[in-house]
Amino acid sequence: MSGSASTMRYDAGQATPAKRGPINLRLIDWIWHVRGSLPLPSGQTADEAFEKLRPVFFQPGTAHEQAQDMLVFSKKDPAAQDKMSIFDGGVLRVDHSPQGPVLRYHLISRALLFCFLAPLLFLAFAQLTITVGKFEKPAAEAKDEGKKAKKDTAIQLNPIDKALGAPEPEKPKKDADKGKDKKHSPTAAYVFAAMFAALYVVGRVLEDRLVKALFRKRLRGVQA
Amino acid sequence: MNGVRVGNRMIGTQSPVTVGWENIPRVQGGPFKQFFFTWFQPTVLFGLIAFWYYAPNSIAKASTAIGIGIGFRVLLLIMEWAFPRHESWNLTWKELVTDLFYVGLGYTILRMVDGYIGDGPIIEGIQNYFHSEKFTWFTGMPLLVQAFMISFIFDFGQYWMHRGMHNWYPLWLPHSVHHYITQLNINKGAVGNPVELFLIGLGVGGFFDFLPRAALLAGAIGLAVGSYQHINVRFNSPRWWRFLFNTTEHHSVHHSQDFEATRSNYSNTYIFIDRMFGTCIDGEAELLGMEGGRRMSIREQMTYPFTEGWKTLRERYGRTASATATAVPAE
Repeated sequence: MSGSASTMRYDAGQATPAKRGPINLRLIDWIWHVRGSLPLPSGQTADEAFEKLRPVFFQPGTAHEQAQDMLVFSKKDPAAQDKMSIFDGGVLRVDHSPQGPVLRYHLISRALLFCFLAPLLFLAFAQLTITVGKFEKPAAEAKDEGKKAKKDTAIQLNPIDKALGAPEPEKPKKDADKGKDKKHSPTAAYVFAAMFAALYVVGRVLEDRLVKALFRKRLRGVQA
Repeated sequence: MNGVRVGNRMIGTQSPVTVGWENIPRVQGGPFKQFFFTWFQPTVLFGLIAFWYYAPNSIAKASTAIGIGIGFRVLLLIMEWAFPRHESWNLTWKELVTDLFYVGLGYTILRMVDGYIGDGPIIEGIQNYFHSEKFTWFTGMPLLVQAFMISFIFDFGQYWMHRGMHNWYPLWLPHSVHHYITQLNINKGAVGNPVELFLIGLGVGGFFDFLPRAALLAGAIGLAVGSYQHINVRFNSPRWWRFLFNTTEHHSVHHSQDFEATRSNYSNTYIFIDRMFGTCIDGEAELLGMEGGRRMSIREQMTYPFTEGWKTLRERYGRTASATATAVPAE
């Protein structure tokens, strides 16, 4: 599938990226931009290289366009097993350095940005939980006082369970859980914030390496 | 595609679906591997039941259940990685992140919302309105009967809610998002629009009182049976297991790209509920999803029921409005 894929802005191979706005975006865009380079196998021309790479872009939801030494692609709803599914678009360019031709690529991933920002979302959930808990506390305490009398009835185990040796149920503990507000605990949100921070680090390193390995294999003519 | 007749329905006319247990491949390999993948599921089920039945009160707590649940899911993730059922269902980094995002929503914001407008507060409101207590006759029953009743009542409710989602458009809209998943992995059950996740969590179990240990046992049954609905591992499940419980095979049929096949296997844990109501199809499918297997982004998963609903409303009422407008003769 090929088509219009040239609407996105890339700077593959640019040594000094242009400043956009008051801050230099390049300082932070590594979060969701993956850049890299690979020397072409000796004697391989740009056209031959792109010919070998092209099957990578024959995927559902992928559009690509090649002009001279540059290939631009974009993806919409890529398949789960698409080897480049985390990328939404990018540009690949063959540059001619003194050491020989080099493939430079610049890929953009909203999935990486999403994973980078996800901890903030879960920290916000944690904060929301704490805030709601503070508002709820007086009402919950009043409710517990009303219920206290009802909870004191002892629970009997069925004779079959007694015979089979199941432990007797505990009598309801008075005031045992007082002070613990499990409904408004932010622990789960903190755990998921940490989990996504770790997943981001893993993904940023892993996907960078995987895409490099994919391009390297294709350039060498190995099916990946 | 010819398809296979099941009752008065033709299954697999739009996308490949294998029908019949005799046609489903079995785990290949040596005798140890065969033994492991035949007896893993029953061993875990009976092991967990025995554990929760006899565990001392100091251990039989919700925190232990959470720990076991997380540990079991990690084990299943490792099994998915080591023994994938289909290469086309392999768990990628992006799929894992997407799945865990929904798991995270379930443990945080959705749980909080559920605490205010879920089945618990609704049932409490009804009981307060009628000045009634929980039905306490439940607590006098044997523990395993209580546990079965808790999980069966919930699954029976889920069956009808799920079936309703496949038969009534307003309920289908939020549920449709879950059917855009294109592969089954251990956390895929959590993927869906938050409205659907809220709806599918509603149950009537709150009307009954039961022993805490029975609830833990019911949770263990759910974990040891329901977890295999979405998993990329093949098991040689024993015949009695496949007759009673929902399996990956059943659920893959439910998620297939074949429309008729999706209208089957609605239960969550007990597939015999589907057998009771004639909606069970024993089989399996590899090609899953909607619109030919288009993978939906998280952003679209969040908005799809509303945008689609709006589109439908405009089509239905917009057309009538414009037809009425054109019917008015111009002066």
